[in-house]
Formats: sequence, structure tokens, C-alpha cells
Amino acid sequence: MTQEILVLCPFGLDEGLLSQAVSLSDSDVRVLVPEGQQGRAVRFGPGRIHILHRADIADEADFARWLAKKIRSWGSRIVLAPATIPMRNIMPMLAWALKAGLTADCTALTMSGDDLIQTRPAFGNSLMASIRAMSEIQMATVRPGTFRAEEAAQGTVAIIPERYTPGAQRVKAIDFSEFPQGKPLSQAQIIIAGGMGVGSREGFQKLEKLAARLGAGLGASRTAVDTGFAPYRCQVGMTGVTVCPKLYIAVGISGAVQHLAGMSGSDKVIAINSDPKAPIFGYADYGIVGDWEDIIDTLLNQEEL
Amino acid sequence: MKNILVCVKAVPSAAQVQVDGEYRLKRDGVSLQWNIADEAALEAALELKDRDGSVTVLTMGPPKLETPLKELLARGADRAALITDRLLAGADTRATAMALQAAAKKLGAFDLTLCGRRAIDGETGQVPGELAAALELPCVSNVERIEQLDSRLKLYRRLEDGILTLEVTGRAVVSICEYSYTLRLPGILSMRRAKTKQVELYSASDLQLEPGNCGLKGSLTKVTAMESRFPGLRKGPKEEDPKAGAEMLLAMIREVQP
Repeated sequence: MTQEILVLCPFGLDEGLLSQAVSLSDSDVRVLVPEGQQGRAVRFGPGRIHILHRADIADEADFARWLAKKIRSWGSRIVLAPATIPMRNIMPMLAWALKAGLTADCTALTMSGDDLIQTRPAFGNSLMASIRAMSEIQMATVRPGTFRAEEAAQGTVAIIPERYTPGAQRVKAIDFSEFPQGKPLSQAQIIIAGGMGVGSREGFQKLEKLAARLGAGLGASRTAVDTGFAPYRCQVGMTGVTVCPKLYIAVGISGAVQHLAGMSGSDKVIAINSDPKAPIFGYADYGIVGDWEDIIDTLLNQEEL
Repeated sequence: MKNILVCVKAVPSAAQVQVDGEYRLKRDGVSLQWNIADEAALEAALELKDRDGSVTVLTMGPPKLETPLKELLARGADRAALITDRLLAGADTRATAMALQAAAKKLGAFDLTLCGRRAIDGETGQVPGELAAALELPCVSNVERIEQLDSRLKLYRRLEDGILTLEVTGRAVVSICEYSYTLRLPGILSMRRAKTKQVELYSASDLQLEPGNCGLKGSLTKVTAMESRFPGLRKGPKEEDPKAGAEMLLAMIREVQP
């Protein structure tokens, strides 16, 4: 029997991560999910499902303290969570309390005996480091979308309710305004990204229109963001978001190293650029030399996409 | 705000990233710059501080960081502190937070501690949370804007799907997004003031840090292998006919659409 693995998904189940944990630990997995998601969690074969009944979590430090107490009582030795913005804030606080080594934003996990070997990219995507925790409890956050979710045979599942009531109220949530674009860039299956070659804000609106029709995310190079063609949250690269979609369409992007670092994990890359010597072509699976607007207009004129 | 602490990190200058013949990143001899999100945190602090308030910048690293710290004094910081000790080399995020919290306590009581949300070299973003836990303070990450409302702070936190507005009462650690604030240029007055100031230096023993909690020894994670993964060349075919290109693009889109 290998080590039990605990998967923390208090804000929503990460199916791929749970599935990977089950395959790493011979199904000896505990998972914490919000109310209503136990039905989904069961399909991936965990042994214990803890259902979290909670109010909103605004003071994440307070929630981390509650989690630390729970984890001590469960005796978990390996603790994983999806590398979402809230969990990347909570896990360090939890690691401090549990005196545990923590690795951020892993893209691969393997077991070596009782040790979890965590692999993560550093300096953009250009270096891959393998990391081990030297502590009794080993912790890692894992980049969402890294693992494919595969349903597993279901044995007996224990369902355990948990209740978190916020203690300290040092932080209060006042308001939430959702981005009009909806889906975060890091989770998009298709990304259409524009660079200086797109030339204007109107050009980006065209890309956005196509992205909306395809259910794709809109990305941008740093210079395009600096020029004001697109908002910062669209920035892909070393100082922006790192993405790994199934399809990355680079429009009018020359291909600076810093940009490549943020998108080189994509399954397929298509580059559209009027300059046949643009470096981006070297890193693309398919290149189109020509006016980007011709190509995008052709697509927009398709009745069905 | 009276007293604000800003933790900053010197990182290899991104503009100078170069690769060798085997697509390995060259890191030796590259010049350092302040991490861009940490510069944003400093600007946020300068905007929040009262007339009689004080902003302290704190970093950990080699003695050569004294000069770049003076630059931050010229940009408007009131105090600069450098934790420097060979014992601290090889620190992971926990050992780093351990040293920073010891220095934070030594430097005084701070109403607010700001950090960049992550550094462009390690990209872990874990130090703010670990530091907050060590100081027993709440931590709010990924903040784009801070406003002061009497004794409380209003924070705009960027999440994956939108902006969450929060209010914080009392002391806290807040991590700031890059590009949310642009650090001001040195002013004549602050440059003149900076010339009269010294960077405060602290060793591990000045901070009563036990050797077992320092650097590599105090780290709970260990890098066991490092491999370069510079984006591999794909060199796919190039199409010059727009019609054929658009058709191919459409086919590839259809392939990945559910």
C-alpha cells in the first residue's frame, strides 16, 4: 500500500488532479470538495470524500488554520491542491503551519517509494526542476489542466461532512465583478493571441470576436498589452500567464523568447505573420505567411464555426 | 498608513535571457533587476503612506545588492534593509520567509506588508503566504489596487474569472500584481535624501536565526534535478496562399473543438 494522498478542492473539484492522485496511490485517496460535487468526485475513485459545507471564504488565513487542524487529525502525509489563485495563497499558509515543504504549480507528479517527486517549470517554461519535500508532510499545487481525468473503478466510498465556520473576520468580501470574457486564459482549449502585427485596438476586437465565436480565449504579447491593444490579463509569457491549450493561434506575433516561454507547452501552434522571417514560425506546427486580417475575415465569414 | 514594509527580490534581467547552443538558459553574469511586481508593490506603498509615514524596503541576497537598494531609496523609500549571509544561500520559499519574518520583527511594527505576487525567476508566489503565516497575519494575494478607507483597506483582487473586492481590518500581508502600479522615477529631493542614508545590513545571527533554519539547511524542499526545456523547434510547413491557409486553420480548429 502506498501513501494516502489528500486532494484539497474546497472551491471546486479538479477532476484531472483527483484522477492523477488515485492513479498514484492505488486509490487510497481523500478528497475535499464543496457541497454538491460529491457525485462528480465519486467517478474518479477516491476512498473518502469530505464534503465541505461553508460560508464564503474571505479570510484565507483563517481557512488555512482550519485546514491545518483537519489535516493533522486525518494524518495525511501528501497534500495536493489545484494551483488556482486562492489555493496558491492558502497552501503556503498551510505549509507553514504543517512545517511542510511545498512546491508550486507542478506539471508532473510521480511517486518514488513514499516520496512524491514534483516537477515544475521555472523561468518561464525554459527549465524543468524535479523537487522533493524533505519534510514529514509533502505538499504541492498542480497546474490546472495538467492531467487528463479518467474515471476509475469505484470501491466503497466513505462520505464525510465537514463544516467550516469562519473565525476571525479580518478580511471581508464586499463585491465580485466577473470578467466579461468568462473563462480564464489558463483553462482555454483554444487561444487566439495577437501581437504588434495586429496593429490596433480594432484589430484586437476582431480577434476577440472570433475568439467568442470559437469559445476560445484571447491572448496578447507583452508589447501589444503595453501599447494598450489588450488588457494585462490577456498577456501570455514570462511576465504574464503561462498557457498550454490544445491549439494556440499566434497572430502578428514575432516570437520573443519571453512570449515563447509562456506558450510553448501548447499542443499545436499556428502562426500567422506577414514577415516570413519572423522567429515564431520556427516554433509553430503550421505557419501562414500573409495578411492576418484576410485569414481572420475568412474565418469570421464562415457560417458555422 | 504609518509604517509599510515592502519585500523585494532581485531577479535576472528578463531582457537579457540568453540560451546556449543546447538551448540552455545562461544565468551566469547576467545583470539583476528588481522583480517587476515588487516594484509595483513599492509604488503602492509610496502612494499609501502618510505624510509622516515611512516605507521600508527589505531584501535578502548578496552584498552587491546594496547599490540597487540605494536606487530604491532614491525612488522614494525611507529605509532599506539587506539580509546578507552565506548561511542563507540556497533558501527555498520557507527558509526565505523565515529570514524575512525575523527581519520584519527586528525592523519594527508594520501596519502593512507588501510583496510582489511572484518573482519572474522562481514563479512560486509562495513567500507572501508563508511570511504572513509566520507573522500570524492574514494574506491577500494577487491585488491590483489598494485604497485606504479610514482605518481599513479596500483591496481589488484579481482572480481567474473576475475582480473580488475585499476589506481588511488591521495588519495584513498583501501581494501585488505586476503592472498594477508603475514605480515612480527618482526625484531630486529623494535622490539627495538617499545620499545621506545607509542600507541597514543584517546577518543571520543579527536576526537570531538558527543555522538549522537558514538557507539550504532550513529548506524543506530540495531540487533533485534540473533540465533545460527551451521551447523546442517545431518548424512546421509555411503556407503562402491565404485561402489554403485559412482552410488548414479551420480544419485544425475543428479537430480540437469538442
